[in-house]
Amino acid sequence: MSGRRRLRDALLQRPGLRLTLAVAWLLALLALGAIAASQLQFSGDLRRFLPDARTPEQRLLMEELGDGPGSRLLMLAISGDAPEALAARSRDLHAALAGDPRFTLVANGGEAGLDAFPEDLLAYRYLLTPSFDDAPLDAGVLRDALDARLQDLGSPAAGLVEPLIPSDPTLEVLTLAEAWQPAGAPQRLHDVWFDKAGEQALLLVETRAAGFDPTGQLDAVGTIRDTFAQQAGGSGAVLEVVGPGAFSVDIGGRTQAEAQRIGMVDTIGLILLLLVAYRSWKMPLLGVLPLASAGIAGLTAVALLFPGGVHGITIAFGFTLIGVVQDYPIHFFSHQRAGLSPWKNVRGLWPALSTGVIATCIAYATFLFSGVDGLRQLAVFTITALGIAALTTRYLLPGLVDPSPPDLAASLRLQRLWHRIEALPRPKWSLAVLAVAAGAAIAFSPGAFWQNDLSKLTPVDPDSMQRDTELRAELGAPDVRYVLVAQADDSDAVLGATAALRPALDALVAAGRLDGYDMAARYLPDAATQRARQGALPDTPALRAMLAEALAGSPFNDDAFEPFVEDVARARAAAPLTRATLDGSPLATAVSGLLLEREGSSTALVSLSGLDDPADVAALAAQAAAPGIDVRLLDMKDASESLVIEYRGRVLAAMAVALVLLVVTVWIALRQPRRVWRVLLPTLLTLVVVVAVLRLAGVELTLFHLVALILAAGLGLDYALFFEHAGDDRDDQIRTLHAVLVCSLMTLLVFSLLALSSIPVLRAIGSTVALGVVCNFVLSLLVARRRAAITAARAEPEPVP
Amino acid sequence: MAAAQNAEPPRASQSRDRVPAPAAVAPRSVDADWILHRLTQGAASATPFVELRVSAMLKRPLLLSGEYRRPDADTLVREVRTPYVETTTIRGGEATIAREGRSPRTFSLSRVPELAVLQGSFGALLAGDRKALENVYAVEADGVPADWTLTLVPREPRTAARIAAIVLRGRDGELRCIETRPKQGEPQPTLLGSAATAAVGLDSLEAAQRLCHDVPR
Repeated sequence: MSGRRRLRDALLQRPGLRLTLAVAWLLALLALGAIAASQLQFSGDLRRFLPDARTPEQRLLMEELGDGPGSRLLMLAISGDAPEALAARSRDLHAALAGDPRFTLVANGGEAGLDAFPEDLLAYRYLLTPSFDDAPLDAGVLRDALDARLQDLGSPAAGLVEPLIPSDPTLEVLTLAEAWQPAGAPQRLHDVWFDKAGEQALLLVETRAAGFDPTGQLDAVGTIRDTFAQQAGGSGAVLEVVGPGAFSVDIGGRTQAEAQRIGMVDTIGLILLLLVAYRSWKMPLLGVLPLASAGIAGLTAVALLFPGGVHGITIAFGFTLIGVVQDYPIHFFSHQRAGLSPWKNVRGLWPALSTGVIATCIAYATFLFSGVDGLRQLAVFTITALGIAALTTRYLLPGLVDPSPPDLAASLRLQRLWHRIEALPRPKWSLAVLAVAAGAAIAFSPGAFWQNDLSKLTPVDPDSMQRDTELRAELGAPDVRYVLVAQADDSDAVLGATAALRPALDALVAAGRLDGYDMAARYLPDAATQRARQGALPDTPALRAMLAEALAGSPFNDDAFEPFVEDVARARAAAPLTRATLDGSPLATAVSGLLLEREGSSTALVSLSGLDDPADVAALAAQAAAPGIDVRLLDMKDASESLVIEYRGRVLAAMAVALVLLVVTVWIALRQPRRVWRVLLPTLLTLVVVVAVLRLAGVELTLFHLVALILAAGLGLDYALFFEHAGDDRDDQIRTLHAVLVCSLMTLLVFSLLALSSIPVLRAIGSTVALGVVCNFVLSLLVARRRAAITAARAEPEPVP
Repeated sequence: MAAAQNAEPPRASQSRDRVPAPAAVAPRSVDADWILHRLTQGAASATPFVELRVSAMLKRPLLLSGEYRRPDADTLVREVRTPYVETTTIRGGEATIAREGRSPRTFSLSRVPELAVLQGSFGALLAGDRKALENVYAVEADGVPADWTLTLVPREPRTAARIAAIVLRGRDGELRCIETRPKQGEPQPTLLGSAATAAVGLDSLEAAQRLCHDVPR
């Protein structure tokens, strides 16, 4: 005990020691921050921030797809040079990316052709081809084929086809190569895909990373751009990357850049504000210590409790929410004056400070039971951070501050301000009117209450959207919104079920209601189909007889097609091709995105491009569903919106519980109903007013608004608690006024800058908190203080300088 | 060029092109300009052709006859009439093959250098555009006006990988034969004009090559 006193005395008497310790603390925090930044595993998987799936659609979206096949596609356009040069760029880029494990598909139109037919699959061609499904191979078919092959031999391109003919007189290799071309592929110039105008070489890239995974997408898009930049060198060729992944990378980058710019301005503003408020250069340094300690403690706690990685959104939301701890040292500083020991000062403030911290922590604790991983992380982060900030302010900061700064209560300017505020009329019934008006505005304001489409918060600029639409049409790339899904116990069942849809889908394509579709069964027929084809193939004697008949009188030699006879015999004897046999062939990648195999269940996807009316395909799906096979049209947008709604439901439930707990905590701390009412009224009324203003401004509320409202409530509670705590003492009232003024100006500065941002997410958070700060400040000032103090103050004359 | 300076026909003054002497002057050798000029002058919009294809798969060589047409500057049509009917239209980097009883197929010329070569050589030849021709081929002329050859070696590596050279043979303004020499396999001669007319009953590659090489005097 005496040791602690000695340390306190030493600190009080030695400003040099105080400053050294403060600087050492800051340096330690910087070092810890650097370690944290390098060690922390960040996870970008948005799914960890979403609740568990309930409906089959949600489960598909979350567990199977990670996102639709369309969302993992990036569309590349190379322009700005002669077509030959662009084609060369396209080939180089294809060569560099094709082997990269980060991409499941890299297509530029160049790889399809006779020479591209996978050697291993040659023997299977008679099991894969649908050519003989309707009309079995017979002498007539062969004769027709031989006639056509003779013409091939007579064409100037004879050299190209001639080597294939002996083993493949019906050219099934060509039939399959064409069937495997992406549906609705663009035109080819100089052997690669080009747009209709022939000015841009086009490529299609499918990332392994889900569209949900911003880190993976950033990596993929970065790789593509870097590779191209390296290859293109100084040539005029320009690469354009569009697609959901590229957009999210683009927006992520813009958000980060803007947040950083705003952060810079904020930092300068805060330092200036603290300098002006306390006329001491040490204050900005000391003021930042609790916040920085809180952030690092929060990160550490999350890293320890969640080995799966800290979610990027936890960090972003978390640092937004703990902005409130910046207020703790401010209250302490504003009350420090000569003759008052810093330790005593902080003990005096502790009831108000701890009530605020405990109430807010209990409120955040409800997130622990939300059932959403990301929200749990957020709760752990904020609770740890708030606790640490309060404790450092209580136990460490007093040893470091200058014990005898000028008393702010003696400032004439503050006194005058305080008197003017005292002269203001106290609202009473007008608050009830305000509450009713705000409630009415919330209830009757036109327009949707909630914005469920998360993509609206990260909008793609119209030009990019236009390019996306153009290139998607040029490349026949699948729709990001709709996908047809078949689920069953095994792959054969889903392959068969999707293959059975082909005639109907083809009819839709022919009718112009659908541009194209793709499915795994296009590449890999189900085993039953393969066996049926095997069964329909003639045995060797029968085939020889057919050939003899077809060759009679033809210019071909009688033994010209022996290799064909051998190949058919091999196909008859082969075991049906399975997913596993495909491994390593170019077809495996095509199938991998469209056939998802898990223990005991298989999902086949049919990607759709240029779908006019979803009802067409939904009707097909309904007809195709059979016992044991679930076929449905999945609306990704619907499924993700339903997830957002569910997520919001949980946040709202957690918030409601939190509000109740907050009221109970304040009640327990303050005990008297009158005091509880004075503290809670400004906070609760602010929530209603802010929502009303947002509604009147036509803003559709999102999760980001909710998070911002939680912060605003936390800030308001602190303002009210401190005003209430200041009691009847005039000087104490003035010091509290100073503290709350500095706090709210600081918060207002930070969040009004965010409110001016061009990024809707930042704007949502910024505008909500900024509104909340103003409203909380005014209402706390007018409502939270004791009536007796106000009456006494009015009796005093205004000070004259 | 030296030979061309012997005579200056009046037309030359209208053109920067040096117009070579007419055949009557009987220069000892020809050059590419002379040949191209002759060809453009004598270029018919249609010419009969005969082609002989040899393959190990076939009992006897395949003899095709038909007509090459140039309905306009950008289009080349190869119409086979016997032993089957097939029309190949080459235009704007694409070839469309129409066969009896089947829907026409269109594909990019870049996939089939042999067709691109046909289009390029015919097109540039008949337009007399030596510059365009030299962009695509190394051009070499040889012979005398009554029996000349123009050898075109593809510059583009992908085409060059398949085709060693295209040798055109002719007499004065008449292109008599185009011989495509693949990197692998036998040269495939296409007889044109009077050579095609004379090729009735052709039955061997040697006979075709003879017709192609031997200019009737």
